[in-house]
Amino acid sequence: MGFFLRRLGYTVFVLWAVASILFFMFRLMPGDPRTAFIDNTFTAEQQQQLLVQFGLDKPLHVQYGVFMLNLVQGELGTSFRYKRPVLDMILEVLPNSIVLTLTSLLIAYAFGVVAGAFIAWQRGTWIEAVTIPIVLTTRAAPEFWLGMVFLAIFAFSLGWFPSGGAVTPGAQFDSTWAMMFSADFLHHLLLPAFTLALYLQGLPLLLMRSNMLEVMGDEFVTMARMKGLSEWAIVMRHAARNALLPVVTAFALGIGFSVAGNVVIETVFSWPGIGRMLVDAVAASDYPLAQGAFLLITMVLVTMNFVADLLYAVLDPRVTYGDR
Amino acid sequence: MMKLTGGITRSVLLASAALMIASPALAEGDPIRPITIWARTQAANPQAYQAAQLIAQAWQDLGLEVEVRGVPRTQQSDLVWYKRDEWDTTMWQMVGRPERSDPDELVYNLFHSSTAESGYNFVGYVNPEYDKVAEAQRVEMDEAKRQELVKQSQAIIAEDQPYMLLVFPTKVFAIDKTVWKPESMVEQPGLGIKNFWTFVNAEPVGEQKDMIVNSSDEMNAINPLYISGATDSWVTELIWDRLMRIGPDGLPQPWAAESYQWLDPTTIELKIRQGMKWHDGKPVTVDDVVFSFEAPATGDEAPMYKPFVEGITSIEAVDDRTVRMKLAQPNAAFLTSSLAKINLIPKHIWEPILADLVNKPENAEQYVEESRVGSGPFKYADWTLQQQVVLEANPDHWSAPKMQRWILRIIPNVEAALGMLRSGEVNFMSDYTGDPQILLDVAQEDGDLEILDSVDIGFQFLAFNLRHAPFDDPHFRRALSFAVPRELMVAAAWNGYSVPSNSIISPALPFWYNEDVLPIETGEEVAKAELAKGGYELIDGQLHYPDGVTEQHAR
Repeated sequence: MGFFLRRLGYTVFVLWAVASILFFMFRLMPGDPRTAFIDNTFTAEQQQQLLVQFGLDKPLHVQYGVFMLNLVQGELGTSFRYKRPVLDMILEVLPNSIVLTLTSLLIAYAFGVVAGAFIAWQRGTWIEAVTIPIVLTTRAAPEFWLGMVFLAIFAFSLGWFPSGGAVTPGAQFDSTWAMMFSADFLHHLLLPAFTLALYLQGLPLLLMRSNMLEVMGDEFVTMARMKGLSEWAIVMRHAARNALLPVVTAFALGIGFSVAGNVVIETVFSWPGIGRMLVDAVAASDYPLAQGAFLLITMVLVTMNFVADLLYAVLDPRVTYGDR
Repeated sequence: MMKLTGGITRSVLLASAALMIASPALAEGDPIRPITIWARTQAANPQAYQAAQLIAQAWQDLGLEVEVRGVPRTQQSDLVWYKRDEWDTTMWQMVGRPERSDPDELVYNLFHSSTAESGYNFVGYVNPEYDKVAEAQRVEMDEAKRQELVKQSQAIIAEDQPYMLLVFPTKVFAIDKTVWKPESMVEQPGLGIKNFWTFVNAEPVGEQKDMIVNSSDEMNAINPLYISGATDSWVTELIWDRLMRIGPDGLPQPWAAESYQWLDPTTIELKIRQGMKWHDGKPVTVDDVVFSFEAPATGDEAPMYKPFVEGITSIEAVDDRTVRMKLAQPNAAFLTSSLAKINLIPKHIWEPILADLVNKPENAEQYVEESRVGSGPFKYADWTLQQQVVLEANPDHWSAPKMQRWILRIIPNVEAALGMLRSGEVNFMSDYTGDPQILLDVAQEDGDLEILDSVDIGFQFLAFNLRHAPFDDPHFRRALSFAVPRELMVAAAWNGYSVPSNSIISPALPFWYNEDVLPIETGEEVAKAELAKGGYELIDGQLHYPDGVTEQHAR
């Protein structure tokens, strides 16, 4: 219980620190939110009005106080450019990003775990010699390049997949849920998810492989061989389970990162996600939107970090926290 | 003559001694400080960046130290707009918009001294003679006289060179001719085929009756009382009607108003078209029209539209189909700047909303009207954030569109947009920011595409900051401006897809364009002659101020 409360305390502290850093960082960075509105008839009075509207005419410490007060009430403010509540806008596009990154993560980890175990099993053979460089290449290749190549091959040339967006132009759905479970959405999801998965699978694959190699040298494996179990049973049922633990942690953290979206994939495939929204907001000095999005991401990351810790303790009885 | 020292004759020595006694001993001028040309990054605007490089090279040949710095747009805007003492030169551009078919916006706002401190005259050009001409053209109701004034303003600018005007870019659009009849596309000067008239007149060839256009920028809002961006304005234009519209000839024509008449230079009477209906079925009445012009003027609910109705001192319904407006002073651009800009909004929807907002800190810009009721040729159907906007044709409109739906797709990746044009996911390429040559090659390969290009009303230029020497000296500015041949800009920086410019008014507006200002003599020799006129000296390969002048603004 003490452990739990301590961790909770740390979490709150981290969130407060991140919120404060974000607040000051944006306001001390060069760049003025009014530049997004510059127009012919942008008079001095209008500029001043904008500042007042954004709350930027008040002294910094007053702004900070207002910001913190709103934050503890769950109020993330109003976007400078869209003029809509930040929370509403983030929640509208967040599901798209989460679906994309979670799908990619699941594919990447499912594949990576199995392939990593298999390649570890094939230690010393030509299969290992060929696949490791390939995996390293997928990890090193820039995502946008991979994305453009796949677009060119699978969308433009072969026409198997659409070239962008989350739905066909003109398609309308009753609700976000209806949209996400439609065949149209799935069709649009596959290419970006596949591209991202190709990039992500390098980590679980290599991690799994190196853990397996370690585990294969352990005594219980020798014991299992002595018992006469098949190589397959040893690898998949006994060794893999133990090698899996660090990969599970990585997966939990990966889920945390999924909330941040992936601005590169979202731009290449015109996928409506929070990554794009965030980068746009930062570029236009739309402080409330950028702060709100960053804060949300931080919250999820910190939570998933916590979950990963707990998960490890649950999966591996040898690991304990706190005092015994 | 005796030769004294290595070639110097006695008479020469005597002559120079005489000169030295005769003229006052002025110290030679300081070397001119290094100059920075600010620009957007190469990836963001490759043509302007390339132009900046060419300009820097030409200026270096004159003896100046020049550096080109590419920075993100917000940083550049921040510097140019809010730190007007901290830059010397910058690449900049004016975007072509329908409202700019009338010269008033640019002629006045860009160079009138009143907008120099914090408005659009960011170069700080102060010329009382120009001010008089700009003010005069604004109130001159006689077309021929106004044309003279506008041409005169261009001549003054060409003489003073506060901007180094470069080119009017050529905009390139593409349509899928198996979906849309190319003859039904309407050209509007300076805007190309991407305009209101095309959207209303486009005729489908076959089964596909939805027009799918692309945009690389996000949509911010769809609100008739908020000017939220260029892309947003295409949508707003289609959902809400206006009393007048800028026609395909660039001139304002009656639209929701059937006819208009100037009773005197400050009073205008408009007859409202009968039978118009809002998208919710209710009829458009003269009260709605009066409300549409009063709403932005009261309080601060629509601050961006307020300047366009401020000149109206009174507006009333004379009878159930006539509106009379009185202006504070004559305004030659009133039809364009106000009547073609203010959206007609339903009183029965907006009056309670605005009454409610009066007591709140938010204003109408933040209000999201779910149903978005207008009286335009298209009805609002759907808007999915970051994805698409779907509008449906309004069959009850007197100028009902021939298409079924108008769909805008947000596609930030220009290569993907090109691919979508070929696959049919987009059938009207309206926002192409890549190399026009690639588009032409694609069209040739594909066979289904038709490319249409036209000269923009917008223009690209290099701005001088006139607040600090030597940029406050017309000789210096003219020298720097004429050092670079405009044809070189067109060919080398814009790959041929532009026409040279020496005016803020585009040749796409032949009525206002002063063609006499364009033929300019350019080249290194011309520049050097101009510098000599100003007294600048080239010493040891570096350009110096005239004698006795020191560098006051070293950075």
